[in-house]
Amino acid sequence: MHEFAIGEALVSAVLSELAAVQPPPARLTRVRVVVGAMRQVVPEYLEFAYEVLTQETPAAGSALEIRALPITVRCHACHWEGTVELGVFLCGACGAADLAPLTGMELYLDQLEVEHDDPA
Amino acid sequence: MTTPREIKVYRDLMGANAEWAAKTRALLAERSIAMVNVISAPGSGKTTLLERMIPALAGRLRFAVLEGDLETTRDAERLDALDIPVYQLLTGGSCHLEAKLVHHALLDLPLDDLEVVIVENVGNLVCPAEFDIGEAGKLAILSVTEGEDKPVKYPLLFHEAVAAVITKIDLLPYVPFKLEECRRYLAQTNPAAPVFEVSSLTGAGMDAWLTWFTAFVAAHR
Repeated sequence: MHEFAIGEALVSAVLSELAAVQPPPARLTRVRVVVGAMRQVVPEYLEFAYEVLTQETPAAGSALEIRALPITVRCHACHWEGTVELGVFLCGACGAADLAPLTGMELYLDQLEVEHDDPA
Repeated sequence: MTTPREIKVYRDLMGANAEWAAKTRALLAERSIAMVNVISAPGSGKTTLLERMIPALAGRLRFAVLEGDLETTRDAERLDALDIPVYQLLTGGSCHLEAKLVHHALLDLPLDDLEVVIVENVGNLVCPAEFDIGEAGKLAILSVTEGEDKPVKYPLLFHEAVAAVITKIDLLPYVPFKLEECRRYLAQTNPAAPVFEVSSLTGAGMDAWLTWFTAFVAAHR
């Protein structure tokens, strides 16, 4: 259950980025976070944390989009590159565990989507 | 009518934790202290290993322990018997220690009198591996009463660890643990990390482990 700790960091990043948007938008509609599979984040828990932690903030009601990235690796033994499942950190070609991670460790706020009210 | 707009951000969510970890590294470097982050599943023998190794190194290394637990001070009470500074960190249900909490706990320790700080992280193989707390190295512990495939099931910890210790080897005759397979997985997951096999009960393997540990501390303080 590290999702609440990640959720706190996420909401704090969202609020500070949102406050810096010029001109100030009318509302925040959507937030995209990128999470590598190695981080072992349960999307439902992070969504719940986001909903709770944004209550009564300028980010309240915004949708959270979690973009999951797979674990991809390069095998030091046979130079195979591909995707591995969490829990089986073994080369898909030769079975070795001597793998260099390529993706899967990402954890960042990627994008905000805001709306500006048009002048009437 | 409204106009939608997308704003690219790219902001690392571990940034705040990383800043606290960097402060801790600077503090420890200034005081010439090596900090080791001990991570394992619950019940793998972290506290028992410390109960064995700290008295064995008494007179050679001055220790303090930061004891991370979800609840209760039972582990800290066990270590109090060793007559070293022990500070209990209760996460109140959180599954890992974060750099800020560890940093503040360090400031309460008598840093001038220490050479080693051991952080016994919350028993968990997933979350503690995620959070850098400013340690010199992570130590991965697994016991022979667990599965030998732990290194490939929890690659993040074993990939990052500076060493792995296999505990409870006195139980090997009674459990189906495949030691060779475990060693192979460990060697492949992290070719650079040495692996030690110990029994905190009988003391088997303890000399080699303590020799390595002492050298690691000397190299990182």
